[in-house]
Amino acid sequence: MADHRRRCPQPARIIVPLVALCAAIAVAGILPRRAASITEAQELKNPLAGNPEEIQEGAFLFRSNCALCHGLGARGGSRGPDLSRGVWNHGSSDADIFHTILSGIPGTLMPANDLTDLEAWEVVAYLRSLTRAPPIPIPGDRKAGEAIFQGDGNCWLCHMVNGKGGRVGPDLSSVGSRRSPDFLADKIRNPNKNLAPAQMEPQKEWPYDAEAVTVVTHDGKTVRGVLRNEDTFSIQIMDLQEDLHSYLKKDLRDVTHEGKSLMPPSDQEILSNVQLRDMVAYLDGLRGPTAEAKK
Amino acid sequence: MKLRFFLLAASLAALVSGSARAQVAYDQIVHSSRQPENWVTYGGDYSGSRYSQLQQVNTTNVSRLAPAWVFQTQLAGKFETTPLVINGIMYFTGPDDHGYALDARTGRAIWRYERNLPAKIPACCGRVNRGFAALGDLLFMATLDAHVVALDAKTGNLVWDVEAADYKLGYTFTVAPLAVKDKVIVGISGGEYGIRGFIDAYDAATGKRAWRFYTVPGPHEAGNETWAGDSWSRGGAPAWVTGTFDPNLNLIYWGTGNPAPSDDVSERAGDNLYSNSVVALDADTGKLKWHFQFTPADAHDWDATEVPVLVDLNLDGRARKLLAFANRNGFFYLLDRATGKFLLAKPYSRVTWASEVGPDGRPRLLPAAAESKDGTVVCPAAAGATNWMSPSFSTQTGLLYVSVREQCDLFVGIPQAFHPGHPYIGSVYFKPADERPWGALRALDPLTGQIKWEFKYVSAPWAGVLSTAGGLVFSGDMEGYFIAFDARLGKELWHFGTGAPVYTSPITYALDSKQYIVITSGGALFNFALVQ
Repeated sequence: MADHRRRCPQPARIIVPLVALCAAIAVAGILPRRAASITEAQELKNPLAGNPEEIQEGAFLFRSNCALCHGLGARGGSRGPDLSRGVWNHGSSDADIFHTILSGIPGTLMPANDLTDLEAWEVVAYLRSLTRAPPIPIPGDRKAGEAIFQGDGNCWLCHMVNGKGGRVGPDLSSVGSRRSPDFLADKIRNPNKNLAPAQMEPQKEWPYDAEAVTVVTHDGKTVRGVLRNEDTFSIQIMDLQEDLHSYLKKDLRDVTHEGKSLMPPSDQEILSNVQLRDMVAYLDGLRGPTAEAKK
Repeated sequence: MKLRFFLLAASLAALVSGSARAQVAYDQIVHSSRQPENWVTYGGDYSGSRYSQLQQVNTTNVSRLAPAWVFQTQLAGKFETTPLVINGIMYFTGPDDHGYALDARTGRAIWRYERNLPAKIPACCGRVNRGFAALGDLLFMATLDAHVVALDAKTGNLVWDVEAADYKLGYTFTVAPLAVKDKVIVGISGGEYGIRGFIDAYDAATGKRAWRFYTVPGPHEAGNETWAGDSWSRGGAPAWVTGTFDPNLNLIYWGTGNPAPSDDVSERAGDNLYSNSVVALDADTGKLKWHFQFTPADAHDWDATEVPVLVDLNLDGRARKLLAFANRNGFFYLLDRATGKFLLAKPYSRVTWASEVGPDGRPRLLPAAAESKDGTVVCPAAAGATNWMSPSFSTQTGLLYVSVREQCDLFVGIPQAFHPGHPYIGSVYFKPADERPWGALRALDPLTGQIKWEFKYVSAPWAGVLSTAGGLVFSGDMEGYFIAFDARLGKELWHFGTGAPVYTSPITYALDSKQYIVITSGGALFNFALVQ
């Protein structure tokens, strides 16, 4: 059985009651439910680190709780980043990862997970077992990728990065911390694969990439754009001029879901494998202003 | 002063005389259709019809339906309750085993109950509760920490509290109990944790357990041979949706859930009785009268925890006691509810795992749906063609209304070791690339399984259905609309945006000669009536 005792804070003047409290907790064998503060969390170390049985437990937990977004083997999926590279976007200490698992990351798709502390540590142990140290940098020339994005590639027409660019496509300012390099490469080659559902719900994400849609009003006006939201009775669209439109479906003669993204596919004639590698290196480096500040 | 005292004494006397009769007698539940102003049991009546004789709100005036009042619980979590309404008071539960009594006229709270639950409960799918049962002056709640409790309907005070099982091992309750005669019937949840499922009956007055039916037979019991080795001991087969009752046959009908682990059959070779079945139990003893298994040796998490709706119809020129079951596996079934005899099955959604259900009631499997190393796309998805949300059977139209999920999953099997109290699933599911899930409300002819009409939703719904003698059907969608339909034609007649997904079934009641229609959504309970 692993040692689950809580680390005790050290300030001298209140040490007596704290020692008593910690001793009581240790005797009772209670693992702290959650670190109460960042300072406290930073002191936490994975009590299960390196234990092969616990790593195995963590692997099961990961598959049933995390693989849906982060992919099997934590190699990244359609909704979450690769966690096997040793690149951590929200803090790289054991305590940071433990916290992220239990509390989630507001403003991202990462939810708070209903795991016990022991289970969270098992997942941390599993993730650490995958990680190669030091992190392997992905190949490609970021500068060359940026030149394509901002130049001939015309990506900026639809995608915003750090406040500059278009609005029709998703903002990519932090896409490197949200998606794996493999996912990004696949998305550039095959943008129509696995489009997100357009409806926004409490338990769904705001569409990261939505499909193209064309509506025709009863008086014959045609509007083409990307879905911003849709329900049984109404539809919300952003057209190519970045104007928002809202319609009741009963006022439309036709609604066509095109089953594809407005983003054009880029095969090897349009974008060579070397250029693709450069683009992915550039996008992978986009980790948002907060990530920069943390460094 | 004297007059005031006299009035006080008189009103006290009235209260005392009022309390002399039980609020809900068993006979009242048996004959609930004669009292459509109340909603006395989970399914509206013992047959699970969710059909009301009220017709003040009807196809010609439903466009004038508007909110009468809204009650905000201010709780987070899925609000999956079915409220009860008894003599002008509304009783319902909320997430985390909260309970409420409201003045059904105004929505003002009369009492509130909150259970002191453990912080961590192994519950697969949310800390939800699906409602109270009522009998006499008591309300019954089955709790997330696997207790059954009785509350005083007038005060919310705890009357008794019994433990059914150990929640730390994955046993939980989310079900609304069913009150039958002098007993309270509950079914356990926990199919994702390798529990051994059961259906329990408790004495309503004392809380003493009257009987237990294990949904997985133990050694030397018939059916145990359908489990390889000791796999029965962690076989799952929970019973987490309220069943139905036939007072004449004295049989309780209850759906059972998936075998555990839900998607890995490697260690539980066999049919795995009585998982994914409907069981007919003697109401007095809990003895099994018959069973029918919809999905033997299930590998897709297709719990048969849908409501077994009891319908009395003429079949081949004879009046028959039937059981209609729109199953999570994509087939609609019709059974003889006296004998359990299989009568027909027909797909009511996209089905890729079986070509048909044979005359023996067993599915004819398609090889394309077999497990493979890289995963297999199967329709319906793990959440099923429908799920626990209640269907409704209208005696006016003779149609069964079912919320349908058109969705497929990529099932990837991953064998998983069993540890008590930990998830025991053996698979992960993914939305297949380019798959666009959607949904519908479908009206089925229960005698043929034919789809008479459908109304399409943009996404797969979790809301149940209510039908009324006003020629109406009510349901909701994941985008938050509460919708009224013409029961015969399926035409949408009215809708209201509640602002959060609808996760339960509507009810209706009457007070002061006014019909009300109720749905919960988000943390709120919405109550609608006609605008004058």
